[in-house]
Amino acid sequence: MPIVRIRDAEEYPEPAQKNMKMSSDWFNFEFGEPPAMSKVMAWDGAFGGPHGRAMKRAATPGEFSRAEKEMVAAVVSGINACEY
Amino acid sequence: MTGVTNALNVVADGLRLDGIRTPLVATVDPIKAGPTLKVLLDEIKGFYQTEEIPPAFLGLAADEGYLKEFWQAWKRAFEDNQLPRRFKTMLAFAVSLTSRSDFGTAFHLNEARRLGVSEAGIREVLGVTQMFSSYTKIADVLQLEPDMGSMAAPDLTPAPGGKSKNQG
Repeated sequence: MPIVRIRDAEEYPEPAQKNMKMSSDWFNFEFGEPPAMSKVMAWDGAFGGPHGRAMKRAATPGEFSRAEKEMVAAVVSGINACEY
Repeated sequence: MTGVTNALNVVADGLRLDGIRTPLVATVDPIKAGPTLKVLLDEIKGFYQTEEIPPAFLGLAADEGYLKEFWQAWKRAFEDNQLPRRFKTMLAFAVSLTSRSDFGTAFHLNEARRLGVSEAGIREVLGVTQMFSSYTKIADVLQLEPDMGSMAAPDLTPAPGGKSKNQG
């Protein structure tokens, strides 16, 4: 159970909702309601914006493919025992 | 790969089998190795294309039978298979960095360079490792519940060599 109330997308201002929609584009998947992490990161755009752009820069295909980088993310999440 | 990487890191870091500090357990002198151990150590040297056996393996060599089995598992995990060795080495680097293993981080970083990963490639994996070390902590601190699992369809493929449940 989250320790803070995760707001519905409609409770965010429009620019933040737009940013949350970018999750669907990034994953090429229609979430309906955006993932909780997208909502958390949209809370403060001055933090979540650059944080998200840094992530996308790192995860964009380069010497390693997007899929390979997702595997890196998976092992990092696993080592950190992160269920999310 | 993740499991054996952590397995060697735990022993190497904990027992100081890094070739720099004084080990906490006796390590085998390769020159004094018996014939069967020598064959095994030569295989390790060949796998890493080096004359110097990684000291973590020498720390396991006091029990030759154990090292033999561990090495077979290690080699199987790292050799080219569905994923290439080069990429698995980068995964091991990410595992080691995330678990704060001095031995593993240096070992797999050097190995990645030897296998031809560029500095740009290393930076890419470093970036993903760092960013997901951020996301995972944010998720954990807030105790977010998984909500992205529906992105992937259920995997109904059987175990290697087995048959699908649907095949009867």
